[in-house]
Amino acid sequence: MCFQISILNSQFQILMSFDTFLNLFAASILTAGLYATMSYGLALIYGVMKLTNLSHAGVLMLAAYGTYWLNTLGISPYLAPFIVVPLWFGIGIVWQHTLVKRIMLMPPIASLLFFFGIWLIMQNFAYLVFKSDIRSITNEATLLTYKLGPLVLSQNRLIVFFAGITALVSLQLFLTRTYQGRAIRALAADAEAARLSGIDTDRISALAFGLGIALAAFAGCLMALIFAFDPEFGRSHLLKSFCIVVLGGLESFVGVALGAIMLALAENFSIQFMPAALQDMVSFVLLVIVLLTIPNGLMSLLKGKK
Amino acid sequence: MKNRKNLYVLGGIALLAIIPLIAKTIDNGYLQTLTFFVMMFVSMSVAWNIIGGYAGQISFGHGTFWGLGAFTTAIFAIRTGLPAWLAMPIGGLVAMLYGMSWGYPTLRLRGPYFAIATIGIGEATRLIMLNLDQLLKNSPLDWLVKDKPFTGGASGLILPSPNDFQANQLLLFYICLGFMILTIAISAWINNSRFGLALRAVNMDQEAAETLGVSASRYKVLALMVSAFLVGVAGSLYAQYVLFIDAREVFSFSNSIAMVLMPTVGGIGTLWGPALGALVFKVADDRLSSARFMLGGMQINLGDVNLMLYGLLLVLIILFEPGGVLGLLKRLRKK
Repeated sequence: MCFQISILNSQFQILMSFDTFLNLFAASILTAGLYATMSYGLALIYGVMKLTNLSHAGVLMLAAYGTYWLNTLGISPYLAPFIVVPLWFGIGIVWQHTLVKRIMLMPPIASLLFFFGIWLIMQNFAYLVFKSDIRSITNEATLLTYKLGPLVLSQNRLIVFFAGITALVSLQLFLTRTYQGRAIRALAADAEAARLSGIDTDRISALAFGLGIALAAFAGCLMALIFAFDPEFGRSHLLKSFCIVVLGGLESFVGVALGAIMLALAENFSIQFMPAALQDMVSFVLLVIVLLTIPNGLMSLLKGKK
Repeated sequence: MKNRKNLYVLGGIALLAIIPLIAKTIDNGYLQTLTFFVMMFVSMSVAWNIIGGYAGQISFGHGTFWGLGAFTTAIFAIRTGLPAWLAMPIGGLVAMLYGMSWGYPTLRLRGPYFAIATIGIGEATRLIMLNLDQLLKNSPLDWLVKDKPFTGGASGLILPSPNDFQANQLLLFYICLGFMILTIAISAWINNSRFGLALRAVNMDQEAAETLGVSASRYKVLALMVSAFLVGVAGSLYAQYVLFIDAREVFSFSNSIAMVLMPTVGGIGTLWGPALGALVFKVADDRLSSARFMLGGMQINLGDVNLMLYGLLLVLIILFEPGGVLGLLKRLRKK
């Protein structure tokens, strides 16, 4: 069974076997799990506080370095998130109470510049401490693969996928089943009404901000397992996160998952007829196309016109 | 009051105009080059402020326009053999059309879409320009790369050198001075016109502005186009001055960072703030980049921590003096 895709002219005809197709599809789903975790952190902070957290990229990068650093100390990279994520959760809460609280009262332009500044500081910090060399974590465990018929799956990517999904499902449970989770959602829906119904908005925003940062850190830890990184790492992922959030819409969990799958599919299949160096462009092109055609995101298509 | 201000402006222009005459005797012409770059950055900063300050749409990707202006000029000069300065308006136009192509979809909507897209655009454009020659090979546009490189990829492009290097530098200095005056004049005109008023209104409250009949997206896109055009021309000037460009350097993120930083330091959304910010930024950058200090027994080059200083500066300005240096001066005068 063959798929024929021709672009521009017949010289570019690409034959794709069914096996390749299957493998690319599986790889896309696995990547999507990670992408969903990564973008949910951004969506949570934007949804609740209406802040665009540009330092998201910096948190991804520093969490990846954190995992790397713990690995050099002999702590397994699979255990690193248990140290790195709570740390970032704490940092997020402290940030919110000291600085971000004041930024929230300012026009949106101020928050963009503020978080951009924080991101620059983080990048420079990484340059100073870890230098500009490209790092990655490899050992026997990270190179293991499983064969499943025609499918070849890397153990690492499977672990990353399931860890990401577990985090998202527990977060979803937290947001729907607990008082604090429901308060976060109430705040996202209508801050004024939430305050009037007696929700401690300060504490709940801090919690949401901490959770958003913690999710980003978790995604960063997972990324350290499968990507190489340097202090510039994260910039393209910030754009990807945003692209997914725009695709999926802010309010829904299903939307973010759908957006993540869309982007991962687009990226993995584009490699077949594009130089790999241009892969990071896919998210940008997709973002522009989505904004032109369905600015309200995929979910608006499902629900019909809003 | 108005007369005195005009006098200051004229005095400033005269002072800049005589710099090439005295630069040789002071430091062998370095002052001339420094002044050229300061004037170029002032133009870029003022141009960024049209979309970032007046319209309130922060762009983290203006370096892209600058790079496109530079590349258009280099390709024009290499391919046609005509004087490179003829390409200045073409470089501006290319940057403008490019900005329009992604500015339109992202500026139509409210929210941070534009700002986020600008973070991706620099990276995406650099990747395209680095790989363009490879992509064009064996495509219908093959003839572009048949006998000479188009963008040159990682090895860059060398512009044909002018007959008289010194005279060319001098000519470019005065073109740059004229261009800076033009940019500030355009910014001043926008500041006082209905156009600028509409931009401010959209920046403050888009909904209210639209209720009053201001077409928010049209004005924002227009502001981006003007801004991109001017930054493209600045890039063209750069290419002519240094005569060698490569995609990695010209499209590096640092120019985009500089264009965010300069107006913010000077006073975002004002007429003279961005110019002042560019002056402070470029002169400080020139004086400090080689400085070093000791910290806990470790020698730290200031060049290694410049991102941290820029970031810290941004955070401090936003938290304590959103008006920048200009705002600070005003506050001091009141006291």
